[in-house]
Amino acid sequence: MAKQVVYQTIWTDQYTQMVNITKQIEEVVQSSGVQNGMVTVLSMHTTAGITVNEGLECLEQDIDEFLTKLVPESAPYHHARLLPDYGSTAGNPTGHLKAMLVGNHCHLLIQNGVLEKGSAQEVYFYEFDGPSKRTYCVILEDFDKTFS
Amino acid sequence: MFIDIHVHPNFYEGIDKGKEMFALRQKGLNIHKNSIATIQHVKNQMKCAGLDKLCLLAQDESSLYGQPLVSNQEVAGLVNQAPELFFGFASVDPLTDHWEEELYFAFQELHLNGLSLNLSKLKLYPTDDRLQRLYEICLEEDKPILFHCGCSYEHDTVAKYSHPLEFEEVASSYPKLRIGLEHFGWPWVKDTAMLMLKYQNVYVDTAALFFDNALEFYRYIFTKEYEWTWVERSLRHQIMFGSDNPRFEQIRMAHALDELGFSKKTLDLIKGENAMEFMGIKNG
Repeated sequence: MAKQVVYQTIWTDQYTQMVNITKQIEEVVQSSGVQNGMVTVLSMHTTAGITVNEGLECLEQDIDEFLTKLVPESAPYHHARLLPDYGSTAGNPTGHLKAMLVGNHCHLLIQNGVLEKGSAQEVYFYEFDGPSKRTYCVILEDFDKTFS
Repeated sequence: MFIDIHVHPNFYEGIDKGKEMFALRQKGLNIHKNSIATIQHVKNQMKCAGLDKLCLLAQDESSLYGQPLVSNQEVAGLVNQAPELFFGFASVDPLTDHWEEELYFAFQELHLNGLSLNLSKLKLYPTDDRLQRLYEICLEEDKPILFHCGCSYEHDTVAKYSHPLEFEEVASSYPKLRIGLEHFGWPWVKDTAMLMLKYQNVYVDTAALFFDNALEFYRYIFTKEYEWTWVERSLRHQIMFGSDNPRFEQIRMAHALDELGFSKKTLDLIKGENAMEFMGIKNG
């Protein structure tokens, strides 16, 4: 199966931030030339995730509040210590836990050269320990080349 | 104005010199697995922390590394690039030649706001004769000195040279020299409290997050090592917010300060007024 991998970098500017990256994924799909296949969007981090949901401000707030309720900032976490390998303090246990809940990737289909998604589906990069420089990769798999 | 008095700009984009220097700066600070920070990213971090200005520290331990890890010119360049964001502190290595000229140059030509020294790395006691001239120059130029104090997490550092009590003789001999002791002097936090009590020219910064999270560690310092009332009643004019960024959690430490129950006046002093006083900058 033919595969392409495209790396995308973004700079987040808030502590937690939902960044709608649907357009960027659509552009990558369009310029890839893949007509029929599958795209995987994958976060390269452990304190940021990828999720698919409806692009509504109210839902973004509900998701954020829900995750904060599940993973409160004030709880006593073990991941709150100086890490010798980094030489710096780990203060982001909530980022790790929220990223685990959201997951680090999503899959969508490509049909006739465009991203095939439900009308309400938007792809989000979810920052849980910003601001930061972040990278996600877009993996394109070409079904036509698989079977030809 | 909310000021972070203790920031290492070693990995700022504006002074990036490529892989070799990046690695040397990582080694020098003992910070790893990090990346270059753009000024926009620094601004984003400041916004999240609520900070108005950062004090960037040069790092000259040339006797150990053969060159400054962050030179005075580099710090001055960053300050000139964004004076609305940054103050700058010089650094010189008194174990090398020509440090006096360099210090005068940093103060008189580059207009840096003070001097930063890590004696536990240079393995010099504060009372070492070789430092007397340095204190005199800072007095002549009316510039403060920020000393690394207490535990240093940098490699090849020895804490006996930076024990808070080693600074008492300097504070006593030079009552007009403004002395900033970093990291609360942790773990000798009560010793720094004693020094602040006795010497009005001694300040400390809050750049300490050696265990736990920011709020837990600040609660331990401010309510177990100190009594909360010691700060509110006696020491509030001598404590400055500092984070030692990128070592510690600047944003969470800045937020934690607000959770300790201090009065607005005390917070205003710790967050910025004391730093301005320390640097000798008149408000307004």
